[in-house]
Amino acid sequence: VNAAAAGRQLIRRGTCHVLGDDISLDDDIIPRRFSAGRVIDPLLLLPHLFESLDQGFAARVKPGDILLAGRNFASGKPRLQGFIAMQAQGLSIICASMPGKMIRRAVARSIPVMIAGTQSQGLAATGDEVEVDFATGEFRNLRSGLHVGLPRMPAMLCEIVAGGGAEAALRAWLERHPEQALAAPGNLWKSTNN
Amino acid sequence: LASSAELGGQEGNPAPATSVQKLLARASGLRHVEVGDIVHPDPAYVILHDGCIEATYRELCALGYGAIRNAERVVFVTDHEVAYGSPLAILRGQAIRDIAKRWRIGHLFDVGRGGHGHLFPLESGMVQPGMFLFAYDMHCTTFGAAGALALGVGPEITTVLATGTLWTQVPATVRIDLAGRLGRGVHARDAGFVLTHGLASGRWGVEYDSRVIEFGGPGIEPLGIADRVALCNSVTELGIASVLFGEAPPGASREDCNAILSDSAAMYEGRIGLDLADIEPQLALPGGPENASAVAGTAGLKIQHAFIGSCGSGMFDDFAIAATLLRGRRIADGVRLFVVPGSVATAQRLADEGLAQVFLRAGAMMLPAGCGPCAGGSMAPLGAGEVSISTAATNHSGRFGSTEGIAYLGSPLTVVASAVRGCITDPREFLP
Repeated sequence: VNAAAAGRQLIRRGTCHVLGDDISLDDDIIPRRFSAGRVIDPLLLLPHLFESLDQGFAARVKPGDILLAGRNFASGKPRLQGFIAMQAQGLSIICASMPGKMIRRAVARSIPVMIAGTQSQGLAATGDEVEVDFATGEFRNLRSGLHVGLPRMPAMLCEIVAGGGAEAALRAWLERHPEQALAAPGNLWKSTNN
Repeated sequence: LASSAELGGQEGNPAPATSVQKLLARASGLRHVEVGDIVHPDPAYVILHDGCIEATYRELCALGYGAIRNAERVVFVTDHEVAYGSPLAILRGQAIRDIAKRWRIGHLFDVGRGGHGHLFPLESGMVQPGMFLFAYDMHCTTFGAAGALALGVGPEITTVLATGTLWTQVPATVRIDLAGRLGRGVHARDAGFVLTHGLASGRWGVEYDSRVIEFGGPGIEPLGIADRVALCNSVTELGIASVLFGEAPPGASREDCNAILSDSAAMYEGRIGLDLADIEPQLALPGGPENASAVAGTAGLKIQHAFIGSCGSGMFDDFAIAATLLRGRRIADGVRLFVVPGSVATAQRLADEGLAQVFLRAGAMMLPAGCGPCAGGSMAPLGAGEVSISTAATNHSGRFGSTEGIAYLGSPLTVVASAVRGCITDPREFLP
């Protein structure tokens, strides 16, 4: 993926899932027992996505679907598990507001996020097919015909998301800076936990 | 400090700016930045503590990294598990020394050196007004007391180490104008609790998430560096971006700091006024500093565990004021009171000036400089069913060990008053 070119366009099309205010990262998105148990395998997490709010969600959600949330989405402790699961399902987020550090985590996990304030209200109902360009802010509700401009995601962040998130960005950096590579890859330092 | 001509290079004055706008512009090599801009600031230091170094190293190794960027500016501090309470901690210490060598990092503060990573760098003058820093830990906001901007970025410190920087959105600022003076027996930490509770409960109707909190007004002038640290620390748990002061730090002149302080025409997103004279001693109920209310509401509750220290209240003045109340008194039977100096220098000064004796004669125990019980209770933990009062950074369930312990927060004065009585006590009862 040419990240710079992708940054000018970041389109997602999928079914919209409307969520309320104050959806917590550390319980509502993935039940707390998974962060307590340090589960990080997406295959184990996916069946429990939004389980605390809606038992049937994980069965209904499809790759590429779009979450439309209210204020303070992904609040609470910055646990990994919710973002791992949302990334694995290829979800993207439009919400009224979201804690800054969570926006950072979402971008690092290659999850597009648009913070739309009061404009996030009434855009769609659960089940509507929507198309969103996070790079331009263009939002289309393909069922209702609504077509509005929302506050776009900054181009820099679109590039990181389109490029695959923080890990992909670090791999790309290392390719451009081979002097930072491990001199002897076979001689990996042994962790104390081994 | 660089003059505006050195920083700019263009004619004319840039638009009015807040302190955080100025500091991020400087660190990003820009003449001016607007709130919401995305910048890539160049940090003077990058600080990692003992709890996160190994995982960060492993992650970068797995990606194929053998060397980090600007290693000479990287600082490793050992404050979470200082006295090695387990065999695993000893191995971790060895690993940290090994990683410091492999990465050729510039500053390793090993066990017994330095102390608390949010305190000793500002006491020693390592952190200077106008500096910009990245850190792993969110409580790095204490550096705001010295006029420096520090941003805690958590696991994304890997990107900072690998590339030298991390994208940063210029935050909006909420200004808090302090007036009046704190009453006797009332501490800056109490003011911090009132503010934290007020912000979280919507008392002023301002947004605070990811905003910079800037303190100003005539009320801050008499506040020393420890008091300013207490204010910075109290509001940090709310999820703010960082904390700064609208006046020069103690010991610096306003003229020297004009280049880094907010312009009078700067745009604040919100503005709050608070009269320090109205504040009473506070107690943060279990859950977090935002659950603060007057001590009187909980007075009389028996305690078993107490400590003074942590990033919010671990400077010399915090212990000095606690010692004035404790001098000549003994802590109650059945109460264990721990004293955790924020830095090795503070521990030495407490010994030199005879204050360590005040605590020891009272029956308190001295712990090595660092986080103390606040780092998950790896040292001097709280037990199930016990009640604790401390000056810790926060008091959510399990913070000091057992999730079945009950933890309250107060000022250094409230903690020692309670330790002497054996129950939650308003320190003003001890006023002569």
